[in-house]
Amino acid sequence: MSTVEIRDVRKSYGQLEVIHGVTVDISDGEFVALVGPSGCGKSTLLRMIAGLEEISGGEIAIGERVVNHVAPKDRDIAMVFQNYALYPHMNVRDNMGFALRQRRLPRAEINARVMDAARILGLEQLLERKPRQLSGGQRQRVAMGRAIVRQPTVFLFDEPLSNLDAKLRVQMRSELKELHQRLGVTTVYVTHDQIEAMTLADRVVVMNGGVVEQMGPPLDLYDRPQSLFVAAFIGSPPMNFFEGTLAGAATLLLDDDHALQLPVPVPGEGRVTLGVRPEHIHLADEGWPAVVSVIEPTGSETQITARIGEHLVRVLVRGRTAARPGDTIRLAARPADLHVFDGASGRRREMAL
Amino acid sequence: MTAAALPPLRRRSRLGHRVRIAAGLFACVVFLFPVFWMVLSSFKDQRDIFTMPPTLFFTPTLETYIGYMQRADINRRLINTIIVATGSGLLSIAAGAMAGYALARIRLRGAGTIGVIILLSRGVPPIALAVPMFLVARSLGVTDKHITLILAYCTFLIPYVMWLMRGFFLALPRELEESAMIDGCSRFGAFFKIIVPISLPGLLSTLIFSMILAWEELLFALVLTNRHASTIPVSIAGIAGDTVNGANWGALTAVGTITVIPVVIFALLVQKWLIQGLADGATKG
Repeated sequence: MSTVEIRDVRKSYGQLEVIHGVTVDISDGEFVALVGPSGCGKSTLLRMIAGLEEISGGEIAIGERVVNHVAPKDRDIAMVFQNYALYPHMNVRDNMGFALRQRRLPRAEINARVMDAARILGLEQLLERKPRQLSGGQRQRVAMGRAIVRQPTVFLFDEPLSNLDAKLRVQMRSELKELHQRLGVTTVYVTHDQIEAMTLADRVVVMNGGVVEQMGPPLDLYDRPQSLFVAAFIGSPPMNFFEGTLAGAATLLLDDDHALQLPVPVPGEGRVTLGVRPEHIHLADEGWPAVVSVIEPTGSETQITARIGEHLVRVLVRGRTAARPGDTIRLAARPADLHVFDGASGRRREMAL
Repeated sequence: MTAAALPPLRRRSRLGHRVRIAAGLFACVVFLFPVFWMVLSSFKDQRDIFTMPPTLFFTPTLETYIGYMQRADINRRLINTIIVATGSGLLSIAAGAMAGYALARIRLRGAGTIGVIILLSRGVPPIALAVPMFLVARSLGVTDKHITLILAYCTFLIPYVMWLMRGFFLALPRELEESAMIDGCSRFGAFFKIIVPISLPGLLSTLIFSMILAWEELLFALVLTNRHASTIPVSIAGIAGDTVNGANWGALTAVGTITVIPVVIFALLVQKWLIQGLADGATKG
């Protein structure tokens, strides 16, 4: 086990810089998820930690040793790929033992470690099978087994669940979390799925366009997104946004000339975007008037789509609702659940609560 | 299920299937007939060969085989051909596969251009190279040697192997080597322990094609060899172009048959690999 320090790391392909100075400190045993839309540089960053991409600038240290020029095989890491990258000509046992054979460990020890990992992952019955004879979930387990037997100081995961169907993904997600709790190995996990990042990680790093937008514990990102991008990226269904101009301290004039009264004053002036999550809006006796357009019940909760002026707003309420399409309802939110972002920079503006 | 119960589409596609098989058979007959006629003629004596109209029924004789093979040193030429085909096949697969891998995987400025230039070198007509090659070989004192012919064949086999294998390697997921490199291999180790075993069907089929190309090559063999390292195609050309005695058709067909048989046996032996390699190339490359 060990720490991973990423210090002002940059990556360029020729003239084109794709990662613009990323700094992340990962402590011993921590599970960190790198999350962001495709092309944000998260996979490239992971591959630089692995040594599969050269580092154009800055430093990466694993266990306090700078590894910029250390070959992948000498970094004491294990990586699980999205397509599993199982060696097709070897059976499960040989796939899992490959790295240990490369290190010329005694046969008995290799066997013991492979059996151990197979037991943890429930692969004992499949050891003699070839990868093509396995289902997607089994392949995924073998890929993890191959990483576990190494007993590396750091686990790297590159979208390991993306090729699985939805049900299996949820199951493997909890298995992964359990595995991390059991082994306690420092883990860097790349995903484009914010739910995966939120549920698995101790700390989430949201990346966008080659920079870190925000990092922190999952619920911090949810509760206090520091930018419009993070606010839009984290949370499902996504946050509602209202763009407009401040007209006085607590009035937001929307672009369709509809005025929203805010329960608290917003500092500054000019253009802002107001954000509020669907689950934080409730039906009230007083509040923003809205016309219901769609009601979608799922049993435990109901999603209401309504219009404030021309603005669509999504509301998630627990249980059921008596509202019908065409009804006018009144919507309200607690002051603490409102997020205001600067219209120009997209950064969060703190409100005086 | 009876044919009547099948939906029209199934019936039509079944008919289409038969038409395709018939067309395939027809093509086989057209392409194989000359080979068949060659083999047949090799067992005829000179008089039967020229019978008009040609006959399928005659008393077979091994005379041309026995007589000609003793006279013309065919055994030695056969051995030369085997040595040269095997040598140039193996050398070109070793060098070409590694070059193809480098072109497919190593991020190098201008790698694509390098590949295209090497491929373009195949656009030079061999006849333009034959004479300079002879001059080089003569100055080095290596004419009429196996190694000379092997190296000469490599000049066209390596680009061929390189380009075929490049396509094959490009179709393999990059993560396989990356995983191997994290698991403790160098790039060379990843290539030999992971990529080569996976690519065996492709490597073998490419090797076979290269060996067949070398097996039947005439021009360089004609120019670069004389007696000692001369190959079978040179003998055939010699018989066909004999202006003194006229072409000995019996000998020509007998030597032709001897040339073809090892290739056919070889191809049958490795048929499974050959088809698998071709199919892999078709779907993934």
